[in-house]
Amino acid sequence: MSEVATVATGWGLTFVVIVTYSLWVVSRGRSIGRELGIGEAQPSGLEQESDLSPDT
Amino acid sequence: MAERTDDSKMTATPLTRVLGILGIAAVVFMVVLGLFISPPDVVQGEAVRMLYLHVPSIWIAYGSFVLTSVSSLLFLVRSRRREDGGRHYDRVAGSAAEVGVVFTGLTLITGMLWGKVTWGTYWQWDARLTTTVLLFVTYLGYLALRRLPADPIVRGRRAAVMALISFVNVPIVHYSVDWWRTLHQKASLSVGRRPEITGEMYWTLLYSALTVTIVGAWLIIHRYRVIRLEELRDEENLKMLISSRRHERSADSAADGEVS
Repeated sequence: MSEVATVATGWGLTFVVIVTYSLWVVSRGRSIGRELGIGEAQPSGLEQESDLSPDT
Repeated sequence: MAERTDDSKMTATPLTRVLGILGIAAVVFMVVLGLFISPPDVVQGEAVRMLYLHVPSIWIAYGSFVLTSVSSLLFLVRSRRREDGGRHYDRVAGSAAEVGVVFTGLTLITGMLWGKVTWGTYWQWDARLTTTVLLFVTYLGYLALRRLPADPIVRGRRAAVMALISFVNVPIVHYSVDWWRTLHQKASLSVGRRPEITGEMYWTLLYSALTVTIVGAWLIIHRYRVIRLEELRDEENLKMLISSRRHERSADSAADGEVS
């Protein structure tokens, strides 16, 4: 494998791993949050909806 | 459905959103800097660009394992004193360890690819590579231990002890290149020693480390939040199970009363 191909493979694999893991963490948080109804709760007072969302 | 309590406030996200956006912007600039602006090395040529992934990955892995150990120690000390059993520290330890394992895995992958170009082989059982793979496997074991069904406090204590034992390997990995003759080069940057690299490469490496730290912090915070949500879900499920058992028992008692 040439130097350029090695670098491209290394950087590519790193991004695939990090993006896949990040998406897994976010989607798991969303799915459990939805199960618990946390994301559906209506904000009250000074709280913002984004403060309760299990999203990023 | 869970009522919104103070617990749900832990899912507050403005900080993580800012951190996430900052992380994406930092990664974009890291790609430009690492792949296009920083120069190729005189000896290694283009392959030197693996440095900007490989070295920051193990740094963030070390940092994560330090966080795991400190949190585990605090959990062991405080789990007897606090009402909630100090589970906050257990969650920090678990989330940091998982992120550490991901980055240790990336260190191994990028190192193998880099090794093929510079050493002519993907793998060599030398001290640095062997201790790193051992680090990866022991923390995988730690994560597996966290998944075993048990009382959360008991499981947390077992995991904390294993985290502290696993951490012994971190300095061994780091100093293995000094303690033994290895194929792996010595540390590029080390406290109290002149850096092995200079100029644009040096700054690109430092910038990459900063970027990977932002990404790692974002991941640890999110993973912490997901662990908390998992605990809330388990508590909800347990409450529902107990209530359904009570309901069944009272229905059975009523039926027995009618029969007698």
